[in-house]
Amino acid sequence: MHKTIQESLKVGWVVIGVLAIMTLAEFIVAVAVENKTMLFTLLLIVGLLKAWLIIQYFMHFGQLWEHVSEAWYGMISDDPEADREED
Amino acid sequence: MTHEHAPRVNHRFDSLTINRLGLWLFLVSDASFFIALLSSRFFVSGTHTPEYVDQVLGLGLTILLLISSLSAYRAEALFEHGNIEGAKRMLLATIGMGIVFVFGVAFEWHEAFKHFPPSTGFGTILFTLTGVHVTHVVTGVLTLGFVYFRIRNTTSIGDNQFAVEGAVKWWHFVDVAWVFIYPTLYLLK
Repeated sequence: MHKTIQESLKVGWVVIGVLAIMTLAEFIVAVAVENKTMLFTLLLIVGLLKAWLIIQYFMHFGQLWEHVSEAWYGMISDDPEADREED
Repeated sequence: MTHEHAPRVNHRFDSLTINRLGLWLFLVSDASFFIALLSSRFFVSGTHTPEYVDQVLGLGLTILLLISSLSAYRAEALFEHGNIEGAKRMLLATIGMGIVFVFGVAFEWHEAFKHFPPSTGFGTILFTLTGVHVTHVVTGVLTLGFVYFRIRNTTSIGDNQFAVEGAVKWWHFVDVAWVFIYPTLYLLK
């Protein structure tokens, strides 16, 4: 189902808000945490979450997935409609 | 006697789907390049970050790129819904922020040369990572500029949909790469 323009723009604001909060959290964690392993782990988790938000909501990864199975199927198999036309 | 047939068209998928799939495959391959570069940071200079690294500039560049991602997203959304004027404004805003980002990195390099030149371990990583990334930013700015001129006088959404979508996806990819470059270069201890 397609979103209205207002819904799409609202998604943008919500996502950027969450990204801003996570960036701030990332900075605070870097200042506060002294343990290197803990810091690396926390920064990796926050980075992965931020990347997922951008990929899922800004890059519309799910949109690709709607048709990708059909696309792969189409690449490796012929169209039966075309086969029938040739016959 | 030979029988010649017209090329067969497979109707199970359209060109937009194939374009999207091709772009995603390219982005995944490009991401693997960034992953290799990011991992090299830990081999070359461990997790140590010199105290001279400009934290304020790093945070500022990160916020700038995040905001530019929002304007790019809005450009795509507005274009898809037929608001071409709004999309053009958002594209220009994204291009502007991209150019400011490039100048920010140039300033970072100017400062970095004084404290950790490319001959040092951290300098090697900083100049390589930011250099490769800013190359992506420049190509993103050029692509968004190309798309802006392409849709400048158009009224057709369908003919330009993937041009806008593809350029904007590329810009988001640049942002995703920076999401990992920022903590790797600036925040680790």
